[in-house]
Amino acid sequence: MVANRIEKTRDIETPRRAWLVGLVAWAVPGAGHLLERRWLRAALLGGAVWIMFLMGLWLGGHLFTVTGKEEGFGVLLQLLPMVGNIGTGLLYIICWMANIGFAEKAQLVTYEYGNTFLLVAGLLNYLAMLDAFDIAAGRKP
Amino acid sequence: MKHVFWMAVFAALTAIVFGVSAKGTDRQRLKYGLKVVGEFLAIAFLLGWILYFIPFR
Repeated sequence: MVANRIEKTRDIETPRRAWLVGLVAWAVPGAGHLLERRWLRAALLGGAVWIMFLMGLWLGGHLFTVTGKEEGFGVLLQLLPMVGNIGTGLLYIICWMANIGFAEKAQLVTYEYGNTFLLVAGLLNYLAMLDAFDIAAGRKP
Repeated sequence: MKHVFWMAVFAALTAIVFGVSAKGTDRQRLKYGLKVVGEFLAIAFLLGWILYFIPFR
């Protein structure tokens, strides 16, 4: 029965627009749902990600990046959280270009909270991106 | 108190995304979101009390 379901899902062709919506949803949190005219979802999902990201910066968290100076497996300690951070799309790219949020402020009490907020903002935006993609592809009401 | 506040903010924002992107009716998703907040807070308090009694010296 599950196999039948999977087969049925495979037959449904993904519209090109869904990929665009997914890309926009990743680039600007909430924008994918706006394209789909899901105003409330856009406000809730986008709002949560934006608030979490900005709070993360305000709390003194730092964004991860691979500098090329890491040795051996040390690169994984930067790469994996960086993938999480990149989930916030243009927010991460703008911060990277403006060099905002990359300095470590470990002396702050809220430093770890800030890091966690920034990481989870990216991961949640991946979830929001998939949600927008599914809606655009007609897989979700 | 500061830590509890930020933990609650984190739980609320995460639960919003989980609840909104979940499947089901509005009522079911609201219930799920509230459950997620409750679980985050309950587990954090539980772990906090467990760690309180463990000496790390």
